[in-house]
Amino acid sequence: MRLILIAAALAAVPLASFAQDDPAKQAVKARQGFYQMLAINMGTLAGMAKGDIAYDEAAASRAAANIEALTQYDMPALFIEGSSSADTEGTAAKPDIWTNSEDFQAKFAGLGEAASGASEAVKGGQGNIGPVVGKLGAACKACHDSYREKS
Amino acid sequence: MSRRGPIREVRLWDPLLRGFHWLLAFFVIAAWCLGQFGPAKMTLHFWCGYVVAGLLIFRLVWGFVGPPPARFAHFVRGPGAVARYMRSMFLPEPSHWPGHNPLGALSVIVMLAVLAAQVTTGLISDPDDYINVGPLASYVSSATRSKAVGWHNLGASIILILVLLHVAAVLFYRFWKREDLVSPMINGRKAIREE
Repeated sequence: MRLILIAAALAAVPLASFAQDDPAKQAVKARQGFYQMLAINMGTLAGMAKGDIAYDEAAASRAAANIEALTQYDMPALFIEGSSSADTEGTAAKPDIWTNSEDFQAKFAGLGEAASGASEAVKGGQGNIGPVVGKLGAACKACHDSYREKS
Repeated sequence: MSRRGPIREVRLWDPLLRGFHWLLAFFVIAAWCLGQFGPAKMTLHFWCGYVVAGLLIFRLVWGFVGPPPARFAHFVRGPGAVARYMRSMFLPEPSHWPGHNPLGALSVIVMLAVLAAQVTTGLISDPDDYINVGPLASYVSSATRSKAVGWHNLGASIILILVLLHVAAVLFYRFWKREDLVSPMINGRKAIREE
């Protein structure tokens, strides 16, 4: 009896790892991890801009530097074929990303431009954070408006 | 139709109600256009929304304490009255109705309800852009505040349809039924037929 159970459990292993190896699922997970990292650092900056978090020059500059680094990652490459909201569960990536891929790349490049120099720009006082968050937020919105599924 | 009395011109819409109507029209259109075409940082859209919220609260209060033509109890009617009104609605003659007719009343209620829902979903929306987060978004769950963005978008489409329907109805009364509904909303005076 025990042997049968172990054999059944072992037989299920390849099935489970097959599910995890699904490239579309992995791409979605990686994308969402990327956005989560972006969100944590944006949260720090937005919190300081609003005054919810006390201004700390070093922490602000570190968060901004993280965003700069993240936006240099080739994130659009994670939008592989078959990983849109039409093909895969649990993603808000509209199929338009694939039909307008040039514009989608341009919007991501726009986020990179908005982020460039941010780690220096947020230094020198709480008042310097707002404009940086404004630029980054506008880049977030531009892409969400076109390419993120609304709920 | 049982309305066979004499036609006379009366002061129908009070000044506050007229002010409410045109301010609401202005701020809803402004909010809608700013939402669709405005700057990425939606500060003005937010302020338009707050004004609309204030106007809706006024209308709710006015619907209970205002002059009779403004009161919900005066113009909200059952499905029977709506059906009766619709039977004579397409006659090419003025309705001379003393206020919101039963079908128009439905449209008033639907518009007020949709606008109230729109204000609510706007207040709790979080579009994940860190610059346009609704002021009450932190009071709801993260799933709700991101869903609210979708509801707010859907609401914008419904409002567009309702506004177009409203204008179409006014044009239908003006050119098919030969009844001017715009002037009464400006100067308050309308020719009505008493029961």
